[in-house]
Amino acid sequence: MIVPALVRVRGRSMLPTYREGDVLLVLRGLAPRPGRAHVVDLPPDAHGRPRPLAVKRVTGPDPDDPTRWWLDTDNPGEGVTSFDVGSVPRSAVRAVVLGLVRRPLG
Amino acid sequence: MLSPFRITDVSAHCDLPCGVYDPAQARIEAESVKMICQKVADNDDPDFRTRATIIKEQRSELVKHHLWVLWTDYFKPPHFEKYPQLHVLVNEATKLAGAAGTKGEFDEAKADELLAKIEEISTIFWETKKG
Repeated sequence: MIVPALVRVRGRSMLPTYREGDVLLVLRGLAPRPGRAHVVDLPPDAHGRPRPLAVKRVTGPDPDDPTRWWLDTDNPGEGVTSFDVGSVPRSAVRAVVLGLVRRPLG
Repeated sequence: MLSPFRITDVSAHCDLPCGVYDPAQARIEAESVKMICQKVADNDDPDFRTRATIIKEQRSELVKHHLWVLWTDYFKPPHFEKYPQLHVLVNEATKLAGAAGTKGEFDEAKADELLAKIEEISTIFWETKKG
């Protein structure tokens, strides 16, 4: 079942596409769409602490394991990517970003 | 958690707060190394020289540490594509902070070479921040 949801971007790693405070409409229940931004679960950090739910771009399948997905940021200077944490399984890709619904002024 | 009726925060962050990486850390340690070389040149006290040697060793190691952190944690594949000289620069800079460089001798000129390499890395670092 395809279910819509709303999320708010926190942080700078998806600049210039999405910025702090942007509200995005996302859809759950769809297969990952390579090239689009997605809401994803990142693997826990080196100390085993969970990372927060994140927004990242799914660039495509992991070249070493086509069942997994490769994540990147839009801002090469900042943010956790698959270069840092590896690719993620299908189950970690929680929703696909449909688009921006509200951007704060200023 | 994800719901059409309320807005869930999603993170677009680094693991650490953004902006914590800064080549200034490596530069300050390298300036320390240079200052130690200057102080030793003016002092014949063997105890002082022993302490200076130990501290210079530690500071040189910190230079290497900070450069390696930038190299492995901050710089990403797109940066290395844009600045293909970056790998060699980090290699040369960390060598200059090693036994063949500031660890091995009390040579201000070596410390200046090290500072110049750090400056080159720093220039690239701040260019990537503009993007």
